[in-house]
Amino acid sequence: MSVDVREGANRLAVGRQRPLPTNDTQASGDGDDLPPRTRRGRAAILFVALSVALVVVALVAAGSGQLRVPPLEVLGSVLRHIGIDWLPGPSHPQGDAALWDVRFPRVTMAMLVGAALAVAGAVMQGIFGNPLADPGVVGVSSGSALAASTVIVFGLTFAGSWTIALFAFAGGLVTAIAVYLLSRSQGKTEVVTLILTGIAVNAVAGAGLAFLTFLGDTQAREQIVFWQLGSLNGTRWQYVVVVLVLVVVGIAASLSFSRKLDLLSLGDRSATHLGLNVERLRAVAIVVVALLTAAAVAFCGIISFVGLVVPHMIRMIAGPGHRVLVPASALGGAVLLMLADLVARTAVAYADLPIGMITALVGGPFFFWLLRRARRSAGGWA
Amino acid sequence: MRLSTTRVTRIAIAVCTAGAVLLATTACSSASDGATGATSAAVSTGTIADAAAMTPDELRAYQGASSARLADTALTPVATDPTPTLPVTVTDSQGTKVTVTDTSRILTLDVYGTLSRIVYELGLGSSMVGRDTSSNFAEIADLPNVTPGGHEVTAEAILALSPSVIVTDTSIGPWDVILQMRDAGIPVVVVDSERSLDNVGALTNQVAAALGVPDAGKTLADRTQQEVDAETAAIAKVAPATEGEKLRTVFLYVRGQSGVYYLFGEGSGADALIDGIGGYDVAKEIGWEGMRPVTDEAIIAAQPEVILMMTKGLESVGGVSGLLEKLPALAQTPAGQHQRIIDMPDSEILSFGPQSAQVLDAVAQAMYAPQQHPVAVSDQ
Amino acid sequence: MSVTDGTSGARGHAVLVARGVSVELGGNRILDEVSLEVRAGEIVALVGPNGAGKSTLLAALAGDLLPVAGSVEVGGRPLGDVGHKQLARERAVLTQEHSVSFPFTVREVTGMGRAPWRGTPAADEDETVIDAALVVTDVTRFEHRAFPTLSGGEKARTSFARVLAQGTGAMLLDEPTAALDVRHQEDVLVQAREAARAGLAVVVVLHDLSLAASYADRVAVLAGGRIVAEGAPAQVFVPATLESVYEYPIDVIVHPRTGQLVVVPLRHVGEQAPASAAVHTENSPLEVDRA
Repeated sequence: MSVDVREGANRLAVGRQRPLPTNDTQASGDGDDLPPRTRRGRAAILFVALSVALVVVALVAAGSGQLRVPPLEVLGSVLRHIGIDWLPGPSHPQGDAALWDVRFPRVTMAMLVGAALAVAGAVMQGIFGNPLADPGVVGVSSGSALAASTVIVFGLTFAGSWTIALFAFAGGLVTAIAVYLLSRSQGKTEVVTLILTGIAVNAVAGAGLAFLTFLGDTQAREQIVFWQLGSLNGTRWQYVVVVLVLVVVGIAASLSFSRKLDLLSLGDRSATHLGLNVERLRAVAIVVVALLTAAAVAFCGIISFVGLVVPHMIRMIAGPGHRVLVPASALGGAVLLMLADLVARTAVAYADLPIGMITALVGGPFFFWLLRRARRSAGGWA
Repeated sequence: MRLSTTRVTRIAIAVCTAGAVLLATTACSSASDGATGATSAAVSTGTIADAAAMTPDELRAYQGASSARLADTALTPVATDPTPTLPVTVTDSQGTKVTVTDTSRILTLDVYGTLSRIVYELGLGSSMVGRDTSSNFAEIADLPNVTPGGHEVTAEAILALSPSVIVTDTSIGPWDVILQMRDAGIPVVVVDSERSLDNVGALTNQVAAALGVPDAGKTLADRTQQEVDAETAAIAKVAPATEGEKLRTVFLYVRGQSGVYYLFGEGSGADALIDGIGGYDVAKEIGWEGMRPVTDEAIIAAQPEVILMMTKGLESVGGVSGLLEKLPALAQTPAGQHQRIIDMPDSEILSFGPQSAQVLDAVAQAMYAPQQHPVAVSDQ
Repeated sequence: MSVTDGTSGARGHAVLVARGVSVELGGNRILDEVSLEVRAGEIVALVGPNGAGKSTLLAALAGDLLPVAGSVEVGGRPLGDVGHKQLARERAVLTQEHSVSFPFTVREVTGMGRAPWRGTPAADEDETVIDAALVVTDVTRFEHRAFPTLSGGEKARTSFARVLAQGTGAMLLDEPTAALDVRHQEDVLVQAREAARAGLAVVVVLHDLSLAASYADRVAVLAGGRIVAEGAPAQVFVPATLESVYEYPIDVIVHPRTGQLVVVPLRHVGEQAPASAAVHTENSPLEVDRA
């Protein structure tokens, strides 16, 4: 032991009746036994890796699509837009339009929505103290979608492109509050209660969506149905702007209280003892989750499991500390959704697969595994 | 003027759910429901005028389903490679001013396939660069199908075809993708989405105007109108004259095992069809609008004597016997008891357009001379 | 370090004061006009049978509950006047349950105790304080283990480390010895003793009366929501008092070697139940003033 520690021990006025323990400070070989430097190191590597992945995937995504544009021409097009004519632009007559009007807004949207969903998941898990909380599983996405669907069916446009986002936010907020109130008891959220609440909320929202589908004309109907599976088809820059604003605000807010989320894991009482205003943090966090979910759902429909898979993987690599978890989840979510969208728009010629189906294909089995793991390590449904 | 998705939903009056049909039948685009071997028995070479039509009493007593098949699905363009007068500026059905400068690469998108047929009949078929799922006639079958899912398109795929003009109604979406085409500088002309006998001419003229061939358009529109008029007159000779004697007819959309079936009412195109063949429109009687799911009781109360269906729908429930099994409520109706089901290929029955007269003829023959057109869909 | 500097070891000013506090939960009166003072530099043990209100009194002192009557003061100010954050710098609480919903390490959990000091100069000492707390509670050897993987006793010690790391002038410990083995039980109380010596005010809820007798400066015996006896252990741990409170024959003896008071139930295992209690000592229980 170093001298510092001894001094510290003395400062705590340790007047022990027996000698201080000597050298039984060896790590006992458990996989989680990492000295802080290694955990910090892991976090740093994680950030670097995620940032690199983000850039690489963004470039690949920007360069791939059903209209073939070779990478050099993609780069050439980008350069030309900032006035540098070194490289040739796209040779296809519609190449430029395909890149700037169709592909780039879509890739940007995928990044934003992926980040929003992942951070919403991470924050939600922090508030509920449960790794299974995710806006989709718990029903917040459905509530958001239900509210947004009324805009489609009744043709409301009083705020232009923002109308649907406003409704999505209101719907998501109401649902998030309802889920929170319904699933907590005695300061804790049990897995079973959370999932059952999610099932109930999803069922109610689903019923509402079905009713709206019935009310709407065929156009609206098809839109809602396809939208329930999530789609980034038809993304235009004006939608990206709306989502960008919401996501930036949401993630910035999440970063600001990420440290406080750590304290919540001690339980409400102990967190309060440590000076945290638990109720206020929860209220703010729920609003932020609703905001981020609304940003994702408003234009792209329901995309599940991103908020479940990404934060969990980050936790496995870099631990549960939210100061790392929140930003890393943002990066990870962006990468994941860009990849999923790439598959969605290039897998079948002339077609666009629902992106929610792809994330569910990956996320569903992951969810099962997560449940089993939680069950095993918690020693039961706790 | 940019229009949001929500505007679109208001503008589209009623659209056939062929879209939903086609969603479930992704791979069938190549199937030609017209003259295949199995159905040749149903195809007659004559018209309704030649058919041995029955009297109303005979019709009501007749037992057995029939199939309506087009005698001849060949195209008969009114012009051969007409030269379009370009540039042309039109105000489309949404009020947008669109200027078309180049019609060498045309793409039409609608859920019925009507627009592509019009383009071919105008003689501009060689300029088409792609097709939608419902367009499956021989001349167009080799072009890439841009709506494999039935009613959705993706922007990049269309841009890859580099169309110089797109003509669509609003039945193919998402609307944002159509707007992206406008963003990319491709002129998009939106035409009427309603399908009926009344606006066949208008629709034809809209398409022709957009493509710079108004004269050919007028010729085609006139021809179609004449054909329709002649046909209507011929059918009137054969169909029961008084309201009370007309056969009570409904159009049902059925799909697979779900037990949910839609009744097509006002504005769906089915109303125009039933009127055109001289049937009694039951949906009108009960004030049924659009395409909505219908309950058993309502069908029984309606007491239809003839049921019109799409061929794929009938196949999906296993033919007539399968239909009666899956929808036992039909057994309480005269149509069910007499098995008076008439089917016609999905891409023809409600598409109207240039072959409106032929479609009316085929359905009328199946309606009034069923013995000459036994059902071509086998039971499973 | 933010330990209150009552270094003379003298029993200093009152840090936590309850005056006539009554608490009702679910319609039941759990505490009935309880008054208690905890001063800097002393350990006050709260003992009593199950349901007597010990944990409730602790919670009231901690500011977790709002009394229906009476008041609680911390550092001379009424509880209501002290904000969350400031309160966290003045008192630390060890609850009975120890659970952490995510796999934070022992070190990270201990470090959470430093949260109230974030942004203050005291934050500079975080690492040192955490190290010391880990050493003192003997959890250093698994400081990088995930908290949920620990045994009950290890979790308890970690939570205590967190409380120590919080570095406040008052410590409230709710049955800190519950899951611990003999050695660690002694450790916790030794630490409490050292903290008191350094000037903290410590309140401990204990079940083990001998522990209370040895380590506490003052003991308050609760029964039925009231303090029935209060004072130095020697004065309070009188068989008559204990027997009436616990409704069981109890004896208090002096350990032959250490001279510490030892409180034992009178067991007649294998024989019939005894008549009444046993040896009485000279002292009689003091009656406490209800101030």
